[in-house]
Amino acid sequence: MNADLVIITLIVGIGTWVFRVLPTKIDLTAGRPGGPVSRFLAATGPAAIAALFAVSFLPMLEPDMTVLAPVAIGIAATVAGFAFRRDVALATVFGAIAYGLAYALIAM
Amino acid sequence: MPTPSATFRAGFRESLPITLGYFPIGISFGIAAARAGLSPLEAVFVSAVIYAGAAQFLALALLTGGAPVIVSALSVLAMNLRHVLYGPAILEAAKERAATRFSWLWGGWLSDGAFGAAIVGVSRSKENFSERWMLGLGIGPYFSWAAGTGTGAIFGGGAVEDFPAVDAALGFLLPALFLAMLLAVLSRKQLAVIIASVIVTIPASLVFSTTVGIVAGMIAGSLVGLVRIRGLER
Repeated sequence: MNADLVIITLIVGIGTWVFRVLPTKIDLTAGRPGGPVSRFLAATGPAAIAALFAVSFLPMLEPDMTVLAPVAIGIAATVAGFAFRRDVALATVFGAIAYGLAYALIAM
Repeated sequence: MPTPSATFRAGFRESLPITLGYFPIGISFGIAAARAGLSPLEAVFVSAVIYAGAAQFLALALLTGGAPVIVSALSVLAMNLRHVLYGPAILEAAKERAATRFSWLWGGWLSDGAFGAAIVGVSRSKENFSERWMLGLGIGPYFSWAAGTGTGAIFGGGAVEDFPAVDAALGFLLPALFLAMLLAVLSRKQLAVIIASVIVTIPASLVFSTTVGIVAGMIAGSLVGLVRIRGLER
């Protein structure tokens, strides 16, 4: 195995594990429920999901109807799937299938 | 004792869409790794140890570009700095049910997707949280990512190249997943947080990079969460 690859992988792997685990061992909100740190962290989840949503769709937005139409259909199907059962898994699969079908139809 | 909704199996079910979505992205990393000259074993080693998609692609680029090892490692680590907020955000959402005895195990599996699934599950009910639930939630996406990497490194892109519609549908899994997660956490109270995050993420991603966009959006949204906006509190 390539030595540089092993060194980089181990440094990044251990560092990432520390980033993910160490903060769980520090009680950042101790003594201040509803305080600023608590409110900041409560908003972090929705904020991160919103950011991930934005960056995942951004590369798909091109000024070309053959690209945008499947995206719009995929989004509509995801929203409809979620509205139907309020189930994230179902909505995801609905959206992906609709996107794939729309992509195939447009490519025909 | 975990509640019925906080079992290992319930956590595993909660993250099934991520498990499904990580496999094709794992394949694309495996293909990229093979093209960069890594053996299937090396590719899976990288995925199993680092377990952070974008960071792994950057690591590949730096390795093949001949950048110094320490510079490369620190550059890639900087990309993952956003993960420091993930654990505390989940524990904050779980409130009095929060537990961290085994976070050395489940914490390592807090990828973007697993974190999103945890937030969605705990936002639905904090009774969903337990350390077993977190383990169940983390294990599927982790092994799917590693298996996808191995598949991509061994077989290349041939498996889906003949079916472009299937390839397209697989590529839409993660965007659809993040949209569905967003719908699941969408509430009057979080509306300002979500809008602020999206408004900051888009230009920051376009001007700088995706990672900068995510971090800037997260911080902007979280800062808006500090401000109590009258009328949106309920």
